[in-house]
Amino acid sequence: MTVATGEHVLDLACPPDDVTAVHTFLSSVWAHEPELSLEDRMALELALVELASNVIEHGAGGRPVSCSLRMDVGPDEVTVSLSDDGVPVLVDPSAAHLPDALAEGGRGLALVQMVVDDLRYERVDDRNRWVVRRGRR
Amino acid sequence: MDIVVHEATDDTAVLECSGRLNMVSAGAFRETVAKVVEGGRSRLVVELSGVEFMDSSGLGALVGCLKTARQAGGDLRLAAPSEQVQMVLKLSNIDKILRTYPDGDAAVTNWA
Repeated sequence: MTVATGEHVLDLACPPDDVTAVHTFLSSVWAHEPELSLEDRMALELALVELASNVIEHGAGGRPVSCSLRMDVGPDEVTVSLSDDGVPVLVDPSAAHLPDALAEGGRGLALVQMVVDDLRYERVDDRNRWVVRRGRR
Repeated sequence: MDIVVHEATDDTAVLECSGRLNMVSAGAFRETVAKVVEGGRSRLVVELSGVEFMDSSGLGALVGCLKTARQAGGDLRLAAPSEQVQMVLKLSNIDKILRTYPDGDAAVTNWA
């Protein structure tokens, strides 16, 4: 039996692209995946925009960063991998935690962790690779 | 993101926001709030019903603007957050420092 799975791909070059391209991409994914619940869509949009924001903010040491996002919408879960040619990320995503209430930054990865079931980071060759997985609800 | 500033009273302004409060718009939001506070209104209501998306960059901007308002003797309140914004406020525990009201009219009075 073949299970229908939707695969969606977005390639970014930042600049000039910014996270607006991620929002636009996700709007088209949702249009193709009408069965995905509002809760899942809100969680995934937050997670992916946070990760893309990190990529754009930390960049590639002064040169433009290119970033490729691949989203697989399966019947039971959604998996997204995000690969970029930016500088290595010196962070342990599993240790991300919310900062003090009055902090103005540092919440991104902690929020991602709260809305996905699995968040992984690895450096492969000269690229950063983030993989998130969320069971559909 | 669009921001419409309503000058409610001599010291109170309602900022009616729509669109996305994220990395792209956070800077412009901070600048708008700074101008309103410099203009003499430091009691701020950020009306969020038209904000379809907010992330940690947006949260950071709200916290920064809360500090700006308090330093000028005022405060910052949120009104009418959408479902997505409520989710982010709750996850981040920011509802502990940013008071949320059901609508702009409820938020604009009783500052004490």
